[in-house]
Amino acid sequence: MSVIAQLNSPAMYLICGVIILFVAAVCIFFMVRAYKAGVAIGMDTAKMKRTIIASATFTILPSVGILLGVIALSGSLGTPLPWLRLSVIGALHYETQVAEAAAEQIGLSGLSASEMTLQAFTTIALMMSFCIMWGMLFSILFTKRYSSRLKNGGSKKAGNRPGFGDTAMTAMFIGLVSAYIGSYIGGFVSSGGLFHFAGSLMPIAVVVIAGLVMAGFLWLAEKKNAAWVDSFSIAGSMILAMLGAVVLNPIL
Amino acid sequence: MDEAMKNELFEQYNRRTHLLGRIACTITLVMLLAAPFVMGAVLGAMPNLAAFGKGFFAVGLVWLVSCVVEYLVYVPMLGSGGSYLAFITGNLINMKIPCAINARDIVGAKSGTAENEIISTLSIATSSLVTILVLAVGVALLIPLHPILQSPVLQPAFDNVVPALFGAMAYKYYRRNMKTAIWPLLFMSILFILVPSLTGSTSFMIIPSGALAIAIAWLRWRKNA
Repeated sequence: MSVIAQLNSPAMYLICGVIILFVAAVCIFFMVRAYKAGVAIGMDTAKMKRTIIASATFTILPSVGILLGVIALSGSLGTPLPWLRLSVIGALHYETQVAEAAAEQIGLSGLSASEMTLQAFTTIALMMSFCIMWGMLFSILFTKRYSSRLKNGGSKKAGNRPGFGDTAMTAMFIGLVSAYIGSYIGGFVSSGGLFHFAGSLMPIAVVVIAGLVMAGFLWLAEKKNAAWVDSFSIAGSMILAMLGAVVLNPIL
Repeated sequence: MDEAMKNELFEQYNRRTHLLGRIACTITLVMLLAAPFVMGAVLGAMPNLAAFGKGFFAVGLVWLVSCVVEYLVYVPMLGSGGSYLAFITGNLINMKIPCAINARDIVGAKSGTAENEIISTLSIATSSLVTILVLAVGVALLIPLHPILQSPVLQPAFDNVVPALFGAMAYKYYRRNMKTAIWPLLFMSILFILVPSLTGSTSFMIIPSGALAIAIAWLRWRKNA
């Protein structure tokens, strides 16, 4: 049996499937618990249902993007391991990079199906799991203490005004988005040489289209009283912007 | 139900969240680290620990730093329940963080409140389940889906999922905070233009960008006091 056939064997699916099933059960358990706690403390159930619908629609498209990551890695690592890695802790940008680096450390020229050996595979699997475990480890060790510190700090108010917590969260998110948009602008202007304007304009065009579509959705929600649009605004903006990328591809 | 009773119920919920979150993280961590060895036993080829050690020092340490930063930045955004789930299921920057922030925004939950904690947990649990479901269905249908998902016509769409996500989120957040947003956006654009090699480290650049945005937001908040 070839290496790739062994990596796609039912036993490998079983090992990965059990872990993924456990994680899915944890998510369902936390979800039901949170919903019941929300009802118990008198939260509006309509708000909670809206959260669930908005989060589900929001997630579908990026998940298809992640599925592409599974497909990309399945050529050299088989399907079960990338399926596990990208369902649990994994991150699209991380997996390929670490798998590639691990492959080089064990003497392969890179991630390639033709060079893959069973030992190379298990070593890569260990490295992919180990190098990204820190967030989970910190959660076990520090989240309780860190959360209570944040709570004590966040509960301080200035007079009758709300605390700075909400503003800080929004600002942090603005910083995150700005870093990415800045990288698209920098990539376009200087990736082919300082001020050569030879980089790809596509990510910037997609950002602009998504922003414009979002403006349309918010206009509908706020001016035309179509509040239901809000739950689908991100997914809708993303679909249209991604379609824009397909249309613009021959030009850009 | 009076406020004191609600607070007591929520505190009880929170304490259990930490206990259950730690248990879930520990079990997942043990399973994940054991998986390569179980695979090794099945395949008859255990991991090469010397190569693993070299690899860890070559790239793993960089990810350790990245994980510390992610942990410190994202726990305040996600709340306790949301953090445990998000660090188990991953894909934080490209999915869980925007998803939780979007849900919080849609229902108008304020940070540090019980409502925010519940909404964040619901949002991340839903998002994680949908991802698990999409990947499971996708893996089951891998052969028929392969030509569609890898069609050259659709490649530009799937190559630009993250810009599409951040474009939509940017409009939503910039429009009400333009005086705060303009500075990190300008600063990061100029920085990436002058040092284009930094585009490979964008996830690290979130820290100075976020710090700048928070500093400006704080100054404006103080000014309006």
